[in-house]
Amino acid sequence: MIKLYSTPTCPYCVTLKKFLEEKKVDFEYIDVSQNEQALKEMIDKSGQMGVPVSDINGEIVVGFDRDKIMSLLNIKE
Amino acid sequence: MHDLIIIGAGPAGLSAAIYAVRKKLRVLVLAQMVGGQTIDAHLVENYLGVPEILGIELVEKFKEHAKKFDTEIKENISVQKITKGDADIFSIKTNKGDFQAKALIIASGKKYRQLTVSGAMEFEGKGITYCATCDAPLFKDKKVAVIGAGDAGQDAAWQLTQYAEKIYLFNRYQELRGDDVVMQEKLKQHPKIEIIDDAYPVEIKGDKFVQALVYQQNGSADRKEIAVSGIFVEIGSVPVSEYLKDMVELNEKGEIIVNPKTNMASCPGIFAAGDVTDIPHKQMIIAAGEGAKAALSAYEYLK
Repeated sequence: MIKLYSTPTCPYCVTLKKFLEEKKVDFEYIDVSQNEQALKEMIDKSGQMGVPVSDINGEIVVGFDRDKIMSLLNIKE
Repeated sequence: MHDLIIIGAGPAGLSAAIYAVRKKLRVLVLAQMVGGQTIDAHLVENYLGVPEILGIELVEKFKEHAKKFDTEIKENISVQKITKGDADIFSIKTNKGDFQAKALIIASGKKYRQLTVSGAMEFEGKGITYCATCDAPLFKDKKVAVIGAGDAGQDAAWQLTQYAEKIYLFNRYQELRGDDVVMQEKLKQHPKIEIIDDAYPVEIKGDKFVQALVYQQNGSADRKEIAVSGIFVEIGSVPVSEYLKDMVELNEKGEIIVNPKTNMASCPGIFAAGDVTDIPHKQMIIAAGEGAKAALSAYEYLK
């Protein structure tokens, strides 16, 4: 289960979303600016308030950390 | 081994890459992330041929353009050190191994200047943010502060009016400065915005997240405190040139000093372009032009 916590205005979120789409990864896109419950969930999980945050099968990645995300998803360049 | 390695993939680096590839040089681009600071630019309205575009969309166009010429780009690279060895070959040490080339173009741009007051490191991402475009929507109905009231700080404050309940805009000068006079008038009249002139932050307080900002004003030693849950930092930027300080001459701001005709730095074979250089006016279109110039000069040097 992969979740991407994001805001519509955040450039790194857009980059990450495109990256996941390019790599044909199934994920749930969550706009935390419209969903306070999800915002709380994101802050609880990551211990911080910046977007993007990805939850990759329970592993939390803050920001667009390309290497970490690729290794957690087991995908290659 | 490559003929040319370009460090950075913003408008300067990618424009240089396209020119160099079209000259049939063997080119490699090393970058942290394609786009550079253009990624963070909100609306771009002064790039010729593109009347109105989001920074992130312009970056997509840059990527597409570089791809058309099969430009080799490696991302997520941070350069640690550059040395010049036998036969004037440059070695570049990075987090992902070493690379060699006969000539270099440095286009590593600038990065945000970090806030250094007490609590600034501790609360980064925990209320303190450097990306207003990203995080402004997270502070709906909250009280926030913007540190720095130059063009970027003014823009951040304006973006925040859509979301926050109250915005304190901290200005280190007596009056607002910057290019956009219309914006300054709008900010002064906005009911959510309080401009705090001649003031600077001294401490950020909180437990898990930011709760308050302590500041001093008008040269007085009195410490004033306001409750805020978000702090947006916009105190300018610094050139990414630390890894080059033993190789080329930098000016007092840390910018690479280049010959304005050739873009060559003080070390033969190293060229530079865009915001990392001492060329005035940090603009995307200027960076793109400078990148093209640097590539053509590098081509001459390699001939």
